[in-house]
Amino acid sequence: MVSQFVDLRSDTVTKPTESMRAAMAAAEVDDDVLVNDPTAFRLESEMARITGKEAALFVPSGTMGNLISVLVHCEIRGSEVILGDNSHIHIYENGGISTIGGVHPRTVRNNPDGTMDIGLVEAAIRDPRGELVYPTTKLICLENTQANCGGRCLSVDYTDKIGELAKKHGLKLHIDGARIFNAATALKVPVDRLVRAADSVSVCLSKGIGAPVGSVIVGSSDFISKARRLRKTLGGGMRQVGVLCAAALVAVQENISKLEEDHRNARALAEGLDRIKGLKVDVISVETNIIYVDFLEDANSTAEKTLTKLKEQGILLMLESSNRIRLVLHHQVSADDVRYTISCFKGALTGANGF
Amino acid sequence: MIVKSPQSQWLLSWEKVTFEWEVSWKLKEQPSPNPPTSNPTLFNYKPEGGSDHCGIKLIIGFRVSLLLSFWAATGCAIGLLVGEVLAEMSSRIIDLRSDTVTKPTATMRAAMEAAEVDDDVLAHDPTALRLETEMAKIMGKEAAVFVSSGTMGNLISVLVHCETRGSEVILGDNSHIHLCESGGISTIGAVHPRTVRNNPDGTMDIGLIEAAIRDPQRELIYPTTRLICLENTHGNCGGRCQSIEYTDKVGDLAKKHGLKLHIDGARIFNAATALKVPVDRLVWAADSVSVCLSKGIGAPVGSVIVGSKDFISKARRLRKTLGGGMRQVGILCAAALVAVQENVPKLEEDHRNAKALAAGLNRIKGLKVYVESVETNIIFMDLLEESQLTARELSEKLGQKGILLIAGSSTRIRLVVHHQVTTPDIQYAISCFKGALAGALENGF
Repeated sequence: MVSQFVDLRSDTVTKPTESMRAAMAAAEVDDDVLVNDPTAFRLESEMARITGKEAALFVPSGTMGNLISVLVHCEIRGSEVILGDNSHIHIYENGGISTIGGVHPRTVRNNPDGTMDIGLVEAAIRDPRGELVYPTTKLICLENTQANCGGRCLSVDYTDKIGELAKKHGLKLHIDGARIFNAATALKVPVDRLVRAADSVSVCLSKGIGAPVGSVIVGSSDFISKARRLRKTLGGGMRQVGVLCAAALVAVQENISKLEEDHRNARALAEGLDRIKGLKVDVISVETNIIYVDFLEDANSTAEKTLTKLKEQGILLMLESSNRIRLVLHHQVSADDVRYTISCFKGALTGANGF
Repeated sequence: MIVKSPQSQWLLSWEKVTFEWEVSWKLKEQPSPNPPTSNPTLFNYKPEGGSDHCGIKLIIGFRVSLLLSFWAATGCAIGLLVGEVLAEMSSRIIDLRSDTVTKPTATMRAAMEAAEVDDDVLAHDPTALRLETEMAKIMGKEAAVFVSSGTMGNLISVLVHCETRGSEVILGDNSHIHLCESGGISTIGAVHPRTVRNNPDGTMDIGLIEAAIRDPQRELIYPTTRLICLENTHGNCGGRCQSIEYTDKVGDLAKKHGLKLHIDGARIFNAATALKVPVDRLVWAADSVSVCLSKGIGAPVGSVIVGSKDFISKARRLRKTLGGGMRQVGILCAAALVAVQENVPKLEEDHRNAKALAAGLNRIKGLKVYVESVETNIIFMDLLEESQLTARELSEKLGQKGILLIAGSSTRIRLVVHHQVTTPDIQYAISCFKGALAGALENGF
């Protein structure tokens, strides 16, 4: 019998709160294509201010945020972008920057902590003298927090260094900041300082921030102007979109301050799971809200079987591979849910009865 | 001694009237030696000087607080009523720029607030599923997928039908896809367009379409034709309808040559209404249709693509790639469901209003409207030389009267009617046009 429902598949599952729903119902709206929806305008102004950039643009998803950013920075045919081999853009965005945008990717190995060695990044920049056979490097992309590496944070110092490298070679720097607020919270730095070196950032509002839909791209006025146009071309020009932006505004006001608790819950969950025989969690690497759990050989069950058992207990998780599970914390998972989850895992792996 | 200083502010919004009372209380340590000789009124209160006071501001809602005197409340209510009427008169807006300007109604807002949602990327948002199921049923197709705009609906449809590199699509030279979608099918999708002349009624000659189909024997130098696109109603031709018979003929032609048929059905419901045919019969011959819900149907956002299960499965994937995979999107779908239920039956009145507007404008000296061509909710109006006005000048004059239009060129204006433009609005608009053209605008009327 399911006594509790705990959705740990992703922080994208967050449902709109009552205050968000009320805001959506009352939102002041207008046609955002013909003019500028006033609530969209308010959100975009606020996000530009928070991130310390000139302008911002609301988009339906992080995928579109990254796609637009890469394509605007790489608007000349024959462009190349340097990014991590384990980055979300490279692995989980359908290769859109190439299949849709005609941009060539050049990957550099992601270290376990989410960084790429600066020397390797520099070595990947194409020598313009070889242009007869080379594409032209235009852009470097970072991801902060780095999801596939377990929600790892890239520091202000590292980001600035990459920014300097980019400037030195006349390149732009884009940050896939889907979880940038998680990074800023964990690092205890202001988010605008964290992204200062970046020419553009794509910030998800529908993940830990908890809005029902959307991301925001931030950058210079000129960049955002081009981004707006490309957004229309891709079909992201929505009409009375203030409905969604109203919820996003509430989300930003209410939920950034809750991220710290998500991180505490994540650490508690990680520690609790690591203590279970057969499971291994690299607890020190759990810096924000993402946990990878490995099933050791001596585990009493497989990852897939455990997933099924836990689903019966009302706990939803993501299967990463045959021996790896991913868990993501968010504000709609409480400390009590965390304790319940640990006990269910225990039960599933020790074969104990009765839950 | 407590002295109160009320100030009132009232705000008007389109849907409701609210006002906030800001009441400032001053608390003094010593009683005032000179108590006020008259009751403070709303507008003549003068704050007394005092060094030690703290101000506490209270916001009081619509229900008048017991602490306010009855005469202040009555006076304010009367003033409010007069103000509201005056404000309404001067701020009446008749937005004829497009049917995309329709704002969500109270029922839509309530539906959005209460919508059952889930992550539409990881799973399937239940309200999105309901909308998609309903739209597939209405359109007589196997499946449907909600997208953020008509542009995305067409882009996805063309790209899925033309998934092989080296594809070509046949479409009208005056079509929305070709003129108003940023060339995305090429710049984003690498599909080559082959245009065929749109007749004034929105059709393309079937013979010319057939002639535009590439001969496979010359494939060494030709792209491969994969798709024909129709547009119904045809926006740039003035909202003209394509009949079932015509659509079926183009469908037969497509089948004969192994091609697909996509209908840009942004305003397909307008077409079905005007032609008095069931919408599923109208699009029967099509492999896919992109249907806008944010235009005359009045939803705040979105379109729906309909087609076969296989097609929609690919469409869903491409939607994700383009960045159109939204999470708790049921919010928008809830409004769209209400819109489809409430507003499809209202399209007929929009068409009647459009015809009345067209007829009224055509009678004004200096204007020409091809009234017979007004089949649905779009009117193109030409400014004749004798009007002595450019389209832009006329737009500006009418803008001052709260009538919003789009000037298509120096002598052409487009007007689009929708359910938030009423019959009295139409009459008012006609009189404003009359005034603007008679040069009487300065004197009011």
